[in-house]
Amino acid sequence: MKVTLEVKPRQKPYLPIEAEGIVPRTFFEGTDSLTVFRGNKELPLEEIFNVAIEGEAESVDEVEIIILGDSSRIKRVGEYMDGGRIHITGDIGMHCGNFMSAGEIVIDGNADAWLGREMRGGRIRCHGSAGDYCAAGYRGEKRGMRGGTVEVFGDAGDFTAETLAGGSVIIHGNAGDLSGVDMKEGELTIMGDTSRACANMSGGMAYVHGTVNDMIPTFRKIGQEKVNGEPYTRFSGDIANRGKGTLFIRNYKYLD
Amino acid sequence: MKINDVVCPFCGCLCDDLEITVEHNRIVAVDNGCTLANAKFMSKEQLASPIRRTGEGWENISYDEAIQYTVDMLLDADRPLLYGWSGTHGEAQCIGVHVSELVGGIIDSTTSVCHGPSILAIQEVGHPGCTLGRVKNRADVVIYWGCNPLEAHPRHMSRYTTYADGYFLQNAFRERKVIVVDVRETETARVADEFIRIKEGGDYAVLSALRAIVRGKGDVVPESVAGVSRSQLERIVTLCKDAKFGAIFFGLGLTMTRGKYKNVRNAIELVDELSRHTKFTITPMRGHWNVYGSNEVFTWMTGYPYAIDFCRGIAFYNPGETSAIDLLARKECDACLIIGSDPGAHFPRGCVEHLAEIPTVVIDPVPTMTTALADVQIPVAVSGIDADGTAYRMDGVPIRVRKVIEPTLPNDREVLKSIHAKMKEAKGQ
Repeated sequence: MKVTLEVKPRQKPYLPIEAEGIVPRTFFEGTDSLTVFRGNKELPLEEIFNVAIEGEAESVDEVEIIILGDSSRIKRVGEYMDGGRIHITGDIGMHCGNFMSAGEIVIDGNADAWLGREMRGGRIRCHGSAGDYCAAGYRGEKRGMRGGTVEVFGDAGDFTAETLAGGSVIIHGNAGDLSGVDMKEGELTIMGDTSRACANMSGGMAYVHGTVNDMIPTFRKIGQEKVNGEPYTRFSGDIANRGKGTLFIRNYKYLD
Repeated sequence: MKINDVVCPFCGCLCDDLEITVEHNRIVAVDNGCTLANAKFMSKEQLASPIRRTGEGWENISYDEAIQYTVDMLLDADRPLLYGWSGTHGEAQCIGVHVSELVGGIIDSTTSVCHGPSILAIQEVGHPGCTLGRVKNRADVVIYWGCNPLEAHPRHMSRYTTYADGYFLQNAFRERKVIVVDVRETETARVADEFIRIKEGGDYAVLSALRAIVRGKGDVVPESVAGVSRSQLERIVTLCKDAKFGAIFFGLGLTMTRGKYKNVRNAIELVDELSRHTKFTITPMRGHWNVYGSNEVFTWMTGYPYAIDFCRGIAFYNPGETSAIDLLARKECDACLIIGSDPGAHFPRGCVEHLAEIPTVVIDPVPTMTTALADVQIPVAVSGIDADGTAYRMDGVPIRVRKVIEPTLPNDREVLKSIHAKMKEAKGQ
């Protein structure tokens, strides 16, 4: 089944649309009365999108949703997704792929904040950049993302992989400040630069292939090790938090 | 006529020992107050009636017209923002929550631009706090981190810390050690026993280093951390560990700099670590006199302390998405009611521009910078001067602010009640 949703122009284009109903399962099970919210107004899906559905599906994994047009203010697409595929051809709004447990989301443009928040499984690939709190947790939660893979080909914002508790996060560009802060388990890979990586971590593993600026001063230096033939410094910490995490860093600078 | 024990409705200290002299229903003298209190009580700029913007300027309108305009504006909007609340009393805040829920809007207080990060940190790791009375009577080490009480909370040090007598201290002034941590030498830093000067943005690293040293793992800490030498950090830790009762107060230097709530979380975890050796507590230096009250009221009514989105009919909370600055900067709201604060003077330019574009109503006694952005302003009585109500001090103690002169205008509570009633009528409830 192929579902094409084309975003219509709106009178107030900046007002966010909350569309947690846009998940493959909804279309697999039938969508007679699917609604989305513009602020406090509940609207039929057709008022925001031109909807076209082709073909049938035997299982949720055979459903593919394609989102066309300016979807940069459409929030919560793919929330609780448990199979199938979502392909976003432009940018996507906040909370894309919240709590998803299976399936795949591909974003050709940029993703706004909280991409893959508290994700449990499945795969998100973002070809542009991601906002703050990419693959992070919710306010006050001890554990954030617990499984699956988030891969961002551009840069990621601040607090990337905050409270990471499983799964893997790969940022091909740079990550913002405090990436991997309070992480507990799982694996974070940053190909570019970041700052204050993995502050207060208690467990898990992180690789930074660029430079960590303002390195947290409470990581114990274990020594030099080779990663793919290149020299890296291995750290253990965060000692301030009785942490047992491992950090492999190509270059680092303290704020001294 | 002299009135004793008046509560000052200016900052989070809520000093309750002011003496006000009233003649012919006007305040003519303020004793015991700081300069901020004097300015607030002696202010004479109150508007006399509601005003509405016309093509050329402003026209006076009646309260009924102004309230009807507000109701229509809120009901027409898809995503209205109701912002402010820190400069009004708890009873008005209660009605504000009811209005937000009824209209399906977002309610946020000035918390989101001051100590919001402190609350996010508290939601992660808890709050080892205490009342200011305990600090006054017991604390022999006081740390001011990223705040300047001598200028922002002028009587904090004389009422609760450095210069106050303490029941369990023989000679409080000599026994108390004061540590100030800041990026520049402030007035407060000059009276400190120990001043730690941190490079901008280095608070998190210094807090982490202190935690490691308290744990006896000082060997991992480099010689210098964000401009502070390890020997000074070790000296501070010894001072803290030797304390009988330590109290940390922190301000926007911690909450609104790089790292925001993670700084505060680190400070709370330092307090946790120190409490394995002695007794330590931590208290945010709240700014507005009743900003703590807005958090209390919102929490008991909605479950969340600020930035609550009722658009979907249930309370949703996510600062960064549902907080006023973010909503305005991203143009995600289409009407705004402002009460008891002055975003026109404090918000970033982009936010102010959006406020000027959308319909905005201000409920405030005096013309402010926000008036320049508004379509209608409704003047009200000033809580603590000609209106009474409940406020919460920075340590969470509720204190009733009094009415010292007879009001000539309705108060916040009455205006909001009429808005709520009219709105219910319009919705057929």
